[in-house]
Amino acid sequence: MRRSGIKENINKAVVVSGLVKNFEVLEKGARNIDRIKSLLKPKKKVVTALKGISFSIGKGELVGFIGANGAGKTTTMKILSGLLYPTAGFVQVLGFNPWDRKREFLKRISLVMGQKNQLWWDLPAIDTLELNRAIYEIPHLTFKKVLDELVEILDVKDLLTTPVRKLSLGQRMRFELIAALIHQPEVLFLDEPTIGLDVVGQQAIRDFIYQYNRKFSATVMLTSHNMSDLVDLTKRVIVIDKGEIVFDGKLTDLITNYAKEKIIKIYFSGDVNIGSLEKICKIRRYAYPEAVISVDRSLAAFTAAELLQNFPVADITIEEEGIESIVRRVFRGEAVNG
Amino acid sequence: MKLKEFLKKANLGGKAKLVWYYFVIWLKMGKNAFMVYLNQKKILAIFLIGKIIRFVLFLTFLYFLVSGAGDLAGYTSDEVIFFFLSFNLVDVVSQFLFREVYRFRTMVVSGDLDLVLVKPLNPLFRILFGGADIIDFITIPPLVAATFYYGARLNPGFLEVVFYLALLVNSLLISAAFYIAVISAAIVTYEVDHTVMIFRDLSRLGTVPVDIYKDPLRFVITYIIPIGIMLSFPAKAFLGVLGIKLILVSFLFGAFSLFFSLRFWEYAIKKYTSASS
Amino acid sequence: MVRLTMYKYFQVGKTSLKQEIAYPINFVMWRVRNIIQILLVLFLWDSLISDPRKVLFGYSRDMILTYIFGIMLVRAFVLSSKSMDVAGEVARGELSNYLIRPVNYFFYWLSRDFASKVLNLSFVFVEFSLLFLILRPDFFFQTNIFYIGFFIFSVFIGILIYTLFLFITSSVTFWMPEMGWGAHFLLNVVLVEFLSGVLFPLDILPQAIQKVINFLPLPYLVYFPLQIYLGKQSTYELVRGFVVEIFWLGALALFLNFIWKKGLKVYESQGR
Repeated sequence: MRRSGIKENINKAVVVSGLVKNFEVLEKGARNIDRIKSLLKPKKKVVTALKGISFSIGKGELVGFIGANGAGKTTTMKILSGLLYPTAGFVQVLGFNPWDRKREFLKRISLVMGQKNQLWWDLPAIDTLELNRAIYEIPHLTFKKVLDELVEILDVKDLLTTPVRKLSLGQRMRFELIAALIHQPEVLFLDEPTIGLDVVGQQAIRDFIYQYNRKFSATVMLTSHNMSDLVDLTKRVIVIDKGEIVFDGKLTDLITNYAKEKIIKIYFSGDVNIGSLEKICKIRRYAYPEAVISVDRSLAAFTAAELLQNFPVADITIEEEGIESIVRRVFRGEAVNG
Repeated sequence: MKLKEFLKKANLGGKAKLVWYYFVIWLKMGKNAFMVYLNQKKILAIFLIGKIIRFVLFLTFLYFLVSGAGDLAGYTSDEVIFFFLSFNLVDVVSQFLFREVYRFRTMVVSGDLDLVLVKPLNPLFRILFGGADIIDFITIPPLVAATFYYGARLNPGFLEVVFYLALLVNSLLISAAFYIAVISAAIVTYEVDHTVMIFRDLSRLGTVPVDIYKDPLRFVITYIIPIGIMLSFPAKAFLGVLGIKLILVSFLFGAFSLFFSLRFWEYAIKKYTSASS
Repeated sequence: MVRLTMYKYFQVGKTSLKQEIAYPINFVMWRVRNIIQILLVLFLWDSLISDPRKVLFGYSRDMILTYIFGIMLVRAFVLSSKSMDVAGEVARGELSNYLIRPVNYFFYWLSRDFASKVLNLSFVFVEFSLLFLILRPDFFFQTNIFYIGFFIFSVFIGILIYTLFLFITSSVTFWMPEMGWGAHFLLNVVLVEFLSGVLFPLDILPQAIQKVINFLPLPYLVYFPLQIYLGKQSTYELVRGFVVEIFWLGALALFLNFIWKKGLKVYESQGR
């Protein structure tokens, strides 16, 4: 993927190779005297946020980017959209070096960050959109067509002339998306687009991202702390941990790779001594007559046999660990080596 | 043939197009800022009234004071009023143009600056000119009229008028340079409000000819914090009491300050994009 | 009981002071701004009356420079007030935090203000001395102990009047939450600048205007105390001044009481 030549790059929207990003952090002491010292003679500490990551994304792909807080997701996104300049490595988006921030490049990408706003607070969204029409030099007809389409999908047609400050967070986020997409970017970076929204709002945004990706065959890169975002939207995920890519592949493969445990559900037919049950397995939930326990994958069969032998079991099922709980573990930054 | 080549190289058409592009966007942003104010008509009215009262009262005060004393640092009351009007002209026009700078800190702290940087638009343009202030705009025409009226009474020569106008433009460039330096500092240190407020306070020292101050204060506010160059020199040139050397110094100062503030901005934006996550 | 109440407000002041010191840059910047603002006035007059023998509008050079140095001092006492934050607290609905507590909101702010003034005063002392040493102005020292006593008394009443003023201005936000800053600008910035005497001593104005202004509360913030210090008031003027000043103190207090009660009703009915 890295050195396979220009030919392949034509079909790639994003190519990243050996990307390193260091930050210089000023060390400030806790005590006042240390702070004064650090003013006079700043101690700099170099933090490596990205330790030489490589990946590529094909045109029209929708890729989820997951990892714990501070793993390097947002840093990567910012480098790809030209907000941060890389310390070392090769980055190409749509054939451009993002850091040059060429107008032709910026006109073809977009970045949405939950909790960061571009809409003018006291004005209706349409005014921001009109401004963006001028900034991105969108022809009137195209603008009208795309806008109609976007407000239709997101169901906010009636709110175009309502001042932004009077909108709910969910409605505002929809307009943030419209403002980011009105110029039909070919590459879309979404950083936590559903953060802070209620379930209905999240679903609306998700459906929209899916449709946008399909309809405009846009490349979408998405980070989210919301498991449903990833499960619903992405086939491929990249897992990043402490600045390194630890997994890059299908979401379904992630599960087989990461699932260390199996879940056993038991229905008991009589009284159970909890103490002796605890000795052989980890109890997740217990409410007579049902118990949910988790065991190491390799021990699953053995434990099941043991349970059947020693306890009054009416029914027993063995299941894979759910995708949500795996993704949750990834977010927590549990080092899991597949 | 050669001319054609030259014209092609200079790409004047492209440049004109770019200027037009930015001008249209400036108008749109100005319209948006105006719409924001329209939502707050009462506040608009109050500030306008306050500013006018303040202006008129100070003008009256200066007039009575200087005519009572005979002169102020050698200037007649008409001349002092001309200084005052020129000060207001530079002050109000730069407030009108660069109002958005006051909102910059919030933009940095909230991170909304990121969304400005990913736009195919010069971020500096957006940050400086993003919110032309309508209150100040309303006061510009009467101010220009008053300056014209008092200026005409002083019977200036043609050359003096040319220098005056050129120096006014120069003052706006210095003012732009100052605001660019301020927003750059804001990125590096997260601090804007105090710097701007102190500069505003200092610039009010320029409501009267800087000649009234004693050294070293006079030297500092003339050349180091260029209030003298910005606010007093145009009127002095108009009255014909500013030597050609100092006029040249002013223009050089304007060019240098703009140059250095732009370099500072480049440094700051590079720093911004290399820090934080 | 009284001692307990006093202790309560003493604590309020102490905490407020600590908070102010916690942001030293803010405080220092605010002091720097104060010095810059006085420089214009100082040099303007210095330049107008450069000749020590000249008398302009009834002021000799030493009198006017004393007046301007006096402005520094009286400003730090009277016009350095934090009570403007009341407008913000009402507009944002934070007033509720105090309504449910056993504190008098007015005295709460007054104690915060007094604490703040103590801090300001110590800084003003340094600034005053520095400027004095640098500029070496001709200075008029008042030796009459009565004048000094009356001066201090009038400053004290000036503080109360200004605090009342700020509270009354802030009451606007009960009805129009977004108007706080505008009203403050118009009343407490623009009007105070011209009518309290921080820019020029009011007796340079024509007699007719002076007569009207003297019946307003504003001259009693800065101008009147300094006139007493300079010994420029006749006994009649002194008595009349104090009568008017104390009248305003009472009238403003009653008015605040009236408007505040009405405002609270609006505030509570809106459940901010």
